[in-house]
Amino acid sequence: MALKMNYVVRETGINLWRNVTLTVASMVTVAASLALVGSALLLRQGVENLTARWEGGIEFIVFLQPNATEDQRAAVEQALTDNPEVDTISYVDQQAAYDEFKELFRNSPDLVDAVTAEVLPPSYRVVPRVPDAEVVAALGEQFETRPGVREVVFAFDTVRSIQAVSATISLYIFVAAVVLLVVAGLLILNTIRMAMFARRREIEVMKLVGATNWFIRVPFMLEGMIQGLVGGAFAVLLILGLATLFGSIGGSDDLAIFQGLAVAGSELVTICLLLMGIGIVVGAIGSGIAVTRFLDV
Amino acid sequence: MIKLENVSKVYKGEVVALREASADIQKGEFVFLVGPSGSGKSTFIRLLNKEENPDEGRILVAGKDINQLNGWKVPYLRRNIGCIFQDFKLLAAKTVAENVSFALEVIGRPKHVVQTQVPAILELVGLSSKAHHLPHELSGGEQQRVSIARAFVNRPLILLADEPTGNLDPATSKGIMGLLERINETGTTVVMATHDRGIVDDMRRRVIELDRGKIVRDQAHGVYE
Repeated sequence: MALKMNYVVRETGINLWRNVTLTVASMVTVAASLALVGSALLLRQGVENLTARWEGGIEFIVFLQPNATEDQRAAVEQALTDNPEVDTISYVDQQAAYDEFKELFRNSPDLVDAVTAEVLPPSYRVVPRVPDAEVVAALGEQFETRPGVREVVFAFDTVRSIQAVSATISLYIFVAAVVLLVVAGLLILNTIRMAMFARRREIEVMKLVGATNWFIRVPFMLEGMIQGLVGGAFAVLLILGLATLFGSIGGSDDLAIFQGLAVAGSELVTICLLLMGIGIVVGAIGSGIAVTRFLDV
Repeated sequence: MIKLENVSKVYKGEVVALREASADIQKGEFVFLVGPSGSGKSTFIRLLNKEENPDEGRILVAGKDINQLNGWKVPYLRRNIGCIFQDFKLLAAKTVAENVSFALEVIGRPKHVVQTQVPAILELVGLSSKAHHLPHELSGGEQQRVSIARAFVNRPLILLADEPTGNLDPATSKGIMGLLERINETGTTVVMATHDRGIVDDMRRRVIELDRGKIVRDQAHGVYE
């Protein structure tokens, strides 16, 4: 069957215009829900970036003095490996620390320029056998006074709470977003149903003269997908605005802690593509249900 | 061309529209379905087009059992069956020519076919001069000619007509019947449900009479009663 391109485009356009208020309502709902999905993803990605060094069960980090001697370093390593409470350790040398610093503060090139690998402390990241707060605290404190150690930083006080809060917020946002997406899907379904009702005489004639089901359905399905896609595009604009806002907050010195929340360009592109994809899928599902339920032979 | 074997159709479990109806219609025949309202004439027609399915019995169209037909093949069955109705079912926003070409476009016929077939069929039904009029600018008889043009433009094997003259005066009806006769002469099988005694008595074609869903008479060269 030859689905004529100009036929499909013309029919879809007419349908979209005929129900312009409902169409706009569906698009706005899609946009709102996808903006929520996007901000949840953005927040999660930001927190992940911020707390990247605490991944994989690392509970505390032993920072050495930048000028610690090789003997001091070897002694600390020996003590860590010999300790029965310690599961695994990983050593981050000054170059690796500098790379991480560059990544974390990539939006502040001035800061990165001012810092060199020599001034940054090398560190041991420690995964204890038991992630119990008291055990970890006692274990970490043993190393605070060792020669060559600058400080011991624990995960549980700040990072764990950031992770917990962001997980909770993300969950709430996701739940709200899913509810809104279902609403958007139902709105699209209803818009398509209205469009089909407006054209019931044409549809009747098409069936009568032997147009195939898909020939009749495609313009309506396309209409739903366009609604989803346009909603997704609006959501992308909102998310890009939000990401810029994150970046500018992190730029001011007082709020340097938020610096890490800034999301890299490539991650942002992934999120935006995902939003448009979800938009199209919601549109396809909504219109798909409409055409199969209300357009049968 | 069309064969019904003990076909029954019951609506909502009680209203019997068709009861063990059997008939055999040959290619090129012209058949009248007569009977009072509610006797099952429309159901007979709708079953042939697979707008409805029988509860019992077999229906063969062009040698194929249409009950066995997959859903996606139904459109291809309908391309071989033209339909006209008492209320014409024309699209009000489209001109005469557009109404006819619509029937070809939506089954994917190429542009050059549409451009040659539509003027030819409008010539056949005598509406060449009104090709660019809208349906509401035409008389009832002219509108029925447009709907015949639409039904026949794809050269179907069968033409089903459900009271095509029900809204027309006797003189106009005669014109429509003349057109249907010409279509029948091209080899197209015509099945027409009607109340119009004058037409049936005039034409002396095969008559199948229905009464409360039963075929009570099947007569060659018959009359209305």
